[in-house]
Amino acid sequence: MNLSQFAGWLAQTSLSLTIQTHEWVIPTIQSIHIVAIGVALVSAFMIGFRVLGWTGADQTLAETASRFWPWLAGSLCVLLVTGALMVVGEPARELLAFSFWLKMGLIVVGTPLTWWVGRRSTKPLTVLTLLIWIGIIFLGRLIAYDHIWGAWSHSTKA
Amino acid sequence: MSVDGALAALEATRLAASIRASLYFFPFLESLHVVGFTMVFGTIAILDLRMLGIASIRRPVSRIARDVETWAWIAFALTAVTGALMFTTNAGVYYHNIFFRLKMAMLAAAGLNVLAFELTARRSLAQWNTEPQAPRAGRAVATVSLLLWIAIIFMGRWIGFTTTHAGAKVAPDVNIEDLLPK
Repeated sequence: MNLSQFAGWLAQTSLSLTIQTHEWVIPTIQSIHIVAIGVALVSAFMIGFRVLGWTGADQTLAETASRFWPWLAGSLCVLLVTGALMVVGEPARELLAFSFWLKMGLIVVGTPLTWWVGRRSTKPLTVLTLLIWIGIIFLGRLIAYDHIWGAWSHSTKA
Repeated sequence: MSVDGALAALEATRLAASIRASLYFFPFLESLHVVGFTMVFGTIAILDLRMLGIASIRRPVSRIARDVETWAWIAFALTAVTGALMFTTNAGVYYHNIFFRLKMAMLAAAGLNVLAFELTARRSLAQWNTEPQAPRAGRAVATVSLLLWIAIIFMGRWIGFTTTHAGAKVAPDVNIEDLLPK
């Protein structure tokens, strides 16, 4: 079974059909997803900004990390659940999109990097980590415009 | 000039036309808009949660405010500029969209909420700066702020689903089934 066939199978599951037939579900899940992105992004930023000396100078890096890491981890859990529901609801749109897989790759790299940044970090690595989070947000939005990748995209909209 | 005439003139500007003509410009603006408003929401939430006594309660409120305010304003400016640019591309449709109107009303309410804070709890900040939570007026402002910003995010997403590209209407003689992969 290739990815396209898997997406086709997923689209026929009862959960997917339920999501597809209720118009308000996808925008609701997306909105919750974006609220959680706000929590995740700013948590990562506050840890990174502390390393760069832009915020929280009255706290150590360890204190800043222990303040924000639980919020980052918690919001990532919400993002995982809402993201999975979006994949189930619109399998072809997500799974065949180049932006989607690049985004997943950056999350896998960015999350441990942020943890590392919160423990001991150099400024260049911190800047790279913050740029990765911005990249993740861009790629999330670009799933809707996957045709911009041309031949790299297998999205049905291309 | 009527409002609709002004909106049409806005849509006809060279700037609006160049955003519409580009494959990348609108998605780029939208992505920057998301980065901007998620940062607005996240930074404001840090201050709201501090005032509610939920997070960062061992740090003075004034310190938290100093940490996040500059970033909230920078992010808000980015959000407003990218939002305005997106508005120009399809001004007439956005202007008449109910979710756009609700979102603008909520933004105005969020502004009034900040004003309410300045006129009430902010004046006695020195007395509760290091307390675990703000007095009742401050907690009310923080709660309203969180609810409004979350609602604004929901409205923004609904604008996307009820206006342009993603929600584009298919011509009546086209069968949508023919467009989907078999």
